[in-house]
Amino acid sequence: MPKRGGFQKRSKASEEIPSSSLADIAFLLLIFFMVTTVFPNDKPRQIDWVKAQAAEKISEKQKDILNIWMQKDGTVYINDQEVAMADVHQVVAPLYARTNRALVISIRGDRDVPYHYMDAVQKQLVEAGVVRVVFAAQLERQMQRERR
Amino acid sequence: MAVLDQKKTKVSDEIPTSSMADIAFLLLIFFLTTTVFPKDKGLAIVLPEEGVTAQVSQKNIMHIIVRPNCNVEVKRGEATNVQTLRAADVQGVWRQAAADNPNLIAAVKTDPNAPYRCMVDVLDALHLAKADKISLQMLEN
Repeated sequence: MPKRGGFQKRSKASEEIPSSSLADIAFLLLIFFMVTTVFPNDKPRQIDWVKAQAAEKISEKQKDILNIWMQKDGTVYINDQEVAMADVHQVVAPLYARTNRALVISIRGDRDVPYHYMDAVQKQLVEAGVVRVVFAAQLERQMQRERR
Repeated sequence: MAVLDQKKTKVSDEIPTSSMADIAFLLLIFFLTTTVFPKDKGLAIVLPEEGVTAQVSQKNIMHIIVRPNCNVEVKRGEATNVQTLRAADVQGVWRQAAADNPNLIAAVKTDPNAPYRCMVDVLDALHLAKADKISLQMLEN
């Protein structure tokens, strides 16, 4: 039998893209994103938030924000650890240096904490060389204020 | 017609898997778009650097004193008369004063025993009034 020319030989590979594994790919992506999504690591403390109408979003990345929690009795928590007021600058300064001075401190204070604690924290932050500070607050709408 | 119950059903007994990919991608896209990271909100201020003190002329200062009962006393630098008002009223006062003197600095002095929210209310009012030069201090007796 004479050999035929190679051109007419049909390819055995299917012309269609195999779609049977598409579901697996999609679920893999789904699971990948679910696993790699990182939520902020320090767990929220029990505080009553202050409210402010002018509160603006902090545009910094989550990793450049350091939360300083302050409870009603004046105890300070940084990264889930209680820190004595006098030691705040020792804790903050190395963190601040590590982020190339890009760190933004978010002070999350209870609405009823006496102001002298706040003043002490600010003095500690000045000592640590921190410049940018945000008083974290919940956004308050005009209507809520008028009702109060 | 007599053997109706022997008629084979035409419905396949397998679960159709051809649309599984679509379902998975839908879920993927749904979660991608609905994941909202809680963005922190707050009132931003800039702290002074250590050891830097600026001498400011008294006429460029508005003293805002926050009392423990959340009353606010406003005193213009050289003037001696004191206005007592609520925190929300600071906004209007500041707007008027800043229109007269663009170099005005707000010196917020808070009583050591005043709750934090009183100071934030004043700071909020100042932010709403577009004040940018704000100094936070503790009231010393």
